Amino acid sequence: MSKNQTVEQRYLPEIQRKEIDELKTTVKGASQKIIADNIARMKKADSHRPDTMKYFDDIANLFGRRQQEIEAEKQKGKKIIGYLCLFAPTELISAADAIPVRVNSGWYDTSKLGDRVVPVEVCPVIRSTIGAKMIELSPFLEQSDALISVLTCDGMTKLSEILSDQKTIWGMNVPRVKDSTQSLRFWSAEIKHMKTQIETFTGNKITRNSLKEAITTSHRATKAFRRLQELRKGNPVIMGQDAMLVNQAYSWDDKKRWTEKTEALCNELEKRVQQKDWVCSPDTPRVMLTGTPMFWPDSWKLPALVEEGNPKGIIVADEQCSGERILNDPIGVDEWSMDDMLNAISERYLMASTCPCFTSKDGNEDRINWLLNKVKEWNIQGVIYYVLRGCMLYAMEYNRVKKALDKINVPVYYLDTEYTREDVGQLKTRVEAFMELLNARIDF
Amino acid sequence: MAGELIGNILSLIMLVGLGIAGVIAVLVWKKNRASRVTFLRFVIQAVGLAAFFFLFSLEPAIPLLYVLIAWFAVTLFLGRFFCGWVCPFAFIMDIENLLRKALKIRYRLLPDKLNLALHKGRYLIITVFLLFPLILWIFNPPPDTATAIMMARLLAGPFRPYSLIIDPLVPFVVPWTGQLILGNINFSYPYVANITSLIQATPGQIFAIAFVATTLIGAFLVRRIWCRFCPAGVSIAALNKFKAFKGVPLLYIEKDEAKCTKCGVCKRVCPVQVNDVYDQKGGKIKTSQCMLCARCVELCPYEDTLKINLGNKPVFKSRNWLEPSIINEERKIE
Repeated sequence: MSKNQTVEQRYLPEIQRKEIDELKTTVKGASQKIIADNIARMKKADSHRPDTMKYFDDIANLFGRRQQEIEAEKQKGKKIIGYLCLFAPTELISAADAIPVRVNSGWYDTSKLGDRVVPVEVCPVIRSTIGAKMIELSPFLEQSDALISVLTCDGMTKLSEILSDQKTIWGMNVPRVKDSTQSLRFWSAEIKHMKTQIETFTGNKITRNSLKEAITTSHRATKAFRRLQELRKGNPVIMGQDAMLVNQAYSWDDKKRWTEKTEALCNELEKRVQQKDWVCSPDTPRVMLTGTPMFWPDSWKLPALVEEGNPKGIIVADEQCSGERILNDPIGVDEWSMDDMLNAISERYLMASTCPCFTSKDGNEDRINWLLNKVKEWNIQGVIYYVLRGCMLYAMEYNRVKKALDKINVPVYYLDTEYTREDVGQLKTRVEAFMELLNARIDF
Repeated sequence: MAGELIGNILSLIMLVGLGIAGVIAVLVWKKNRASRVTFLRFVIQAVGLAAFFFLFSLEPAIPLLYVLIAWFAVTLFLGRFFCGWVCPFAFIMDIENLLRKALKIRYRLLPDKLNLALHKGRYLIITVFLLFPLILWIFNPPPDTATAIMMARLLAGPFRPYSLIIDPLVPFVVPWTGQLILGNINFSYPYVANITSLIQATPGQIFAIAFVATTLIGAFLVRRIWCRFCPAGVSIAALNKFKAFKGVPLLYIEKDEAKCTKCGVCKRVCPVQVNDVYDQKGGKIKTSQCMLCARCVELCPYEDTLKINLGNKPVFKSRNWLEPSIINEERKIE
C-alpha cells in the first residue's frame, strides 16, 4: 500500500488499516491451518509417503520458508515479478535476474471479500485474487514489484485493471486465433516489448548468455517434470495430489532447487517401482483432471476427495494450467542467438498452449488431441471435468471434450463447484458415485 | 588394370569405413540430442564430398549418364535425401551456416510466397536447361548434332558463364565435366572450378563471378538459399502429390496427429522453410520441397511425434531431447 496510497482507488474499496490487519490475521491463521490440514490428509492418504515430499510440504507453506527467502532476495535488491497467467514468459524474468512467482489465489475465504468489488457471477479465482489483494494476504502478490497479466479470459482482462490500483501491471495481449502467421507476429512483438519492459524495470540487460541460462534451467525442469509424469504412467507409485503439489510448487519455488528435489523424488520413486511398492492397489481407477485451474491450498478439496473416497481413485494426469501445462512444453531453440531464442519463447507460449481462450476452425483440436493422447498413454479410465462456476471458457468447451471422449468410450464427469467448503459433502457423494461407476466398468 | 580396379574398390571401401567410423564417433561423443543428427550430417556430407572428388578423378571416368539415370531412379524413391545429406554444395552452405552461428548473426527468412515461387521456378530452370541444345541448334546449327556435344558446348563453350545457374547439376546431368586437377586432387566440383577458370574478364565472366559471389553471400544470410531453387533438386517426390504414386516414396516424414501440439518448432527450424510438416494434419507428409534433413524430427520435443520412415519402418523418431527416463517395461500395466 506504500507507493500508491495517494492514488485514487478506482475499483478497490477504501478499507481501514485496522480492518485490513484484523482480516489478514484471521484469514492467514485459517489458511495456515488449512495448509497443515491438507498436508496431514495427504500423509494419511499415503501411509508411506516418499521422504522427498518433506521438502515440498515445506515449500507448500505459502507463509513460510519461500516467503522469507524471497523477502531476503528482495532486501538484496532483486526485483520480484509476479504473473497472473501461464502465458507470461518467465524465462525473460529469470534472465533479467528477477524472480518470477505466480500470484493466482487459491484462498476460499478471500473470494467472499472479492464480492465487494465484482459480482458473484465472476470466476472465483479472480474474486479470490482481488480479495487477497484487499487484505494483503498473498505473500507473493505483496512482494511482487510488478505484475505481468496476460489478457486471456474476461476475468483476467479486468483483474489486471482492478489490481492496477495498487500495483504496476503490464498487460499482454493474446491473439485469440493462434494458428496464423499474423497472430504469431503480433505475439512475438508483445514478447519483445515485454523484454524491454523487464529490462528497463529491473535495470538488468537480458543478454544472450543470461537468456540461454534461463532457458536451459527451464529445460532441466521440464526434464525432471517429464520424468515424474513418466513414472505416473505405470502402476501408481505416487498419489495424484502429491504429484500435483510438486508440479504447482514450481510456480513459486526456486527453479533450480525445484529441479533437484524433483529429480530426487523421481529417484526415490524409481526404487519403489523396482520393489513393486505401489501406493495403492493397481486396480484403482485411474483418473485424469481437466478444466479450470486448481490453486493450492484450498482447491485441494477435490483431489483429496478423489483419493480419500470409498471407493477411491488415483489421479495420474491432469490438463490444467495449474498443473501439467506449466512444464509440459520445452522451448525448442534452434540456434542460440537472441533472435531465435525470442522466437522460440513466443512460439512455446502461444502455439503450444491448449488454453480454451483460443478459437479455431477445428474446435481447439490441440486440447482434444492432448486429452486423447493422455488417455491413451496414461491408461486413463475416467476424466473429471472440473469447472468453477463463472469460468465460461472451460464450461463452454465441455461438450466438445465429452463428444471426443465418448468416441473412445471414456466416461467424463462434469463437476462444477465454487470457492466454498460448504459443498464438500455433496461433492463427496458425486465423486464416489463416479468412482463406483469406474470400478464397475473395470470389473466388467 | 585389375590392380587399379582393386585399388579403386579398396579406396571406396576405406571411404565408407571412414564414414561409419565418423558416425560412430559422433554417436559416442555427442550426447546432446538436439544437435546429434546435425553432426552426423556433417560427417556424411564430408565423406560425400571426398567420394565425389574420388569418383571424378577415376581413370577411366565412369560414364556419368549412368549416374544420372541412377540418380533419378533414387530420387523417385528416396525423395531429396541426397540434397539433405550428401550434396557437397549443401555442405559448403552448411559450413557457411556454422560460421554465421559462430559470429552470432541471425539468419534472414524469405517470404513464404517467394520461397514457393522459387521452388516452382526450379522446374522452369531445368526445362530451359534441357531445351538448351535445341535453342543452340536453332541459332547456330552445328555440324554435329549429338545432344552430348551440344551440352558440352553449353557447359564449356562461350555460354559457360551463363550456364553457371545449373551448376550443381553438372556432375549428374552431363556425361562430361571439365576437369581441373591440382596436384593429384581433382577440383572439378563446380564452384571451385568456376572461380579458378573464369578469371579473364568478359561480360559473361563478370556475370558468373557475381553470381557465385551472391549465392555464397546469400547462403551466409539465408539458410540453404541455393536449395530453394536448385534445379538439380527437381524432385520426383513431387509425384507423391498424386494418389496413383502414393506408395512410391520410400523415405518420408510421418507425423502423429494425436501427439502433436502444433508448437511450431518444426516450422521454424526448417532450413528451407518448408511449412508442410507443420500445416498437414498427420500421417504421411506430402511435399516436394522437403530435403529430409531431419532437423525438424531432431528438434521435435514430443516423443514419436515425427518420424522418418523407410518403407513402413521408422528409421529415426523424434524423441524427447531432454532425455526421457528409462521406462521399465514391466511397470506398464499389462
